[in-house]
Amino acid sequence: MIQNRKHFIDELAELHDRVVAMGSETLESYKRLIIACEDKDEALAKHILEHDKVINGLEESINVDGYLLIAKQCPVASDLRQIISALKISNELERIADYASNVAKYLLAVKGDYSEFLQRIIDLSKLAIPMIKAVMKAYHDQDVDLALRVADMDEELDVLYKGYLQEFIKLAQERTDMQVEEALRVILILKQIERAGDHTVNIAEHVVYMINGKMVEL
Amino acid sequence: MSKIVFDVKNLDLFYGSFQALKDISIDVEENKVTALIGPSGCGKSTFLRCLNRMNDLIDVCKITGNIQYHNEDMYASNYDVINLRTKVGMVFQKPNPFPMSIFDNVAYGPRCQGIKDKKVLDKIVKTSLEKAALLSEVEARMNDSAMGLSGGQQQRLCIARAIAMEPDVILMDEPTSALDPIATLKIEELMNELKKEYTIVIVTHSMQQAARISDRTAFFLMGELIEVDATDKIFTQPKNQKTEDYITGRFG
Repeated sequence: MIQNRKHFIDELAELHDRVVAMGSETLESYKRLIIACEDKDEALAKHILEHDKVINGLEESINVDGYLLIAKQCPVASDLRQIISALKISNELERIADYASNVAKYLLAVKGDYSEFLQRIIDLSKLAIPMIKAVMKAYHDQDVDLALRVADMDEELDVLYKGYLQEFIKLAQERTDMQVEEALRVILILKQIERAGDHTVNIAEHVVYMINGKMVEL
Repeated sequence: MSKIVFDVKNLDLFYGSFQALKDISIDVEENKVTALIGPSGCGKSTFLRCLNRMNDLIDVCKITGNIQYHNEDMYASNYDVINLRTKVGMVFQKPNPFPMSIFDNVAYGPRCQGIKDKKVLDKIVKTSLEKAALLSEVEARMNDSAMGLSGGQQQRLCIARAIAMEPDVILMDEPTSALDPIATLKIEELMNELKKEYTIVIVTHSMQQAARISDRTAFFLMGELIEVDATDKIFTQPKNQKTEDYITGRFG
């Protein structure tokens, strides 16, 4: 027996695999970020910047193939949702990876010992990593419940970020030395990780749409 | 670059005083599916029939220009047309099984070529049906009439019949236009398999079918070849505005 549209189904699976791969690469960047902060490893920070090009390349290839599948295969129903989700998720992942790059750039620029500040980056990244992991697992396994839980995880990240923000505002009010200037820079960087969390929640929304066609606001 | 099977240069074709094809130049690449698209009367079927000299059968048809088949002028006066039609098989719009058994349909060509050994015929029939993705559906009733098969099965039988001749090229003239959507998808999937072994040229009225299954697409309009390119290109960024207008449904 011939499996109908086997060729198309294979291409869909290939697109799906590439989104999963892009998720893994993005996750790696955040793991490396933690190590780069802990060890003050400049080479690793540079590697994150370099690796961002690979992630951008993946996004581009997912876009090109996604557009081609739409143009050539007239996908409908779950096939269409799968392609649209792949396009959107790859776009979010590209942004999330960009944030990791921005943090890496900061690590390369920072002068002096600000271990205490870097620890904040580590703390936030440690919350972002399980979110990315969970949302990509939800995508891979088509797991709506897991996708929905990502929004709760983002709450934790937001709470921690807001705590740091308050702390840094207090610091700025009380002190006038160099630390304040650096603290301002760091808070902008922490905001990047907070945004990465928001984009991860966006992915969760795309995953839910892909699975059951419902557009949710998480 | 793939090997070129047909190298068509400056082909003009007239039916009496009417010019049906105007200065067509195109390469057909080996082991690729080339789709010919265009509105009715654009010359795509006429062009397809040039590739196995079926237009020879029409008295008023006159051809100028050159078609090389594997670097040989296939319109040369001493060219072996019978052999050409063995190598370049054809599947038509309407499934046309012969009114005989499934087995005999597929064995017909090889028998005409003088193969009588039952074992050899058995093998040819089985392999051909297998390649046409029909064997599992008909294995138990090989001696039943082919007329009892569904439309989609009949069309795959016709493909098996073409394959039994061990062709090099399979020409298909709207092979799915008489079939339902599922039978159509089966034939399309089959083409994806067949192109590994054969070169396929297909005329189709369905642009989407061309997009789904072909590697290269040629767009014909009023006897002219407007554009030929990789299907990916034609359906995302055609060079010619006429192609764009046709595939986006602006006219035609």
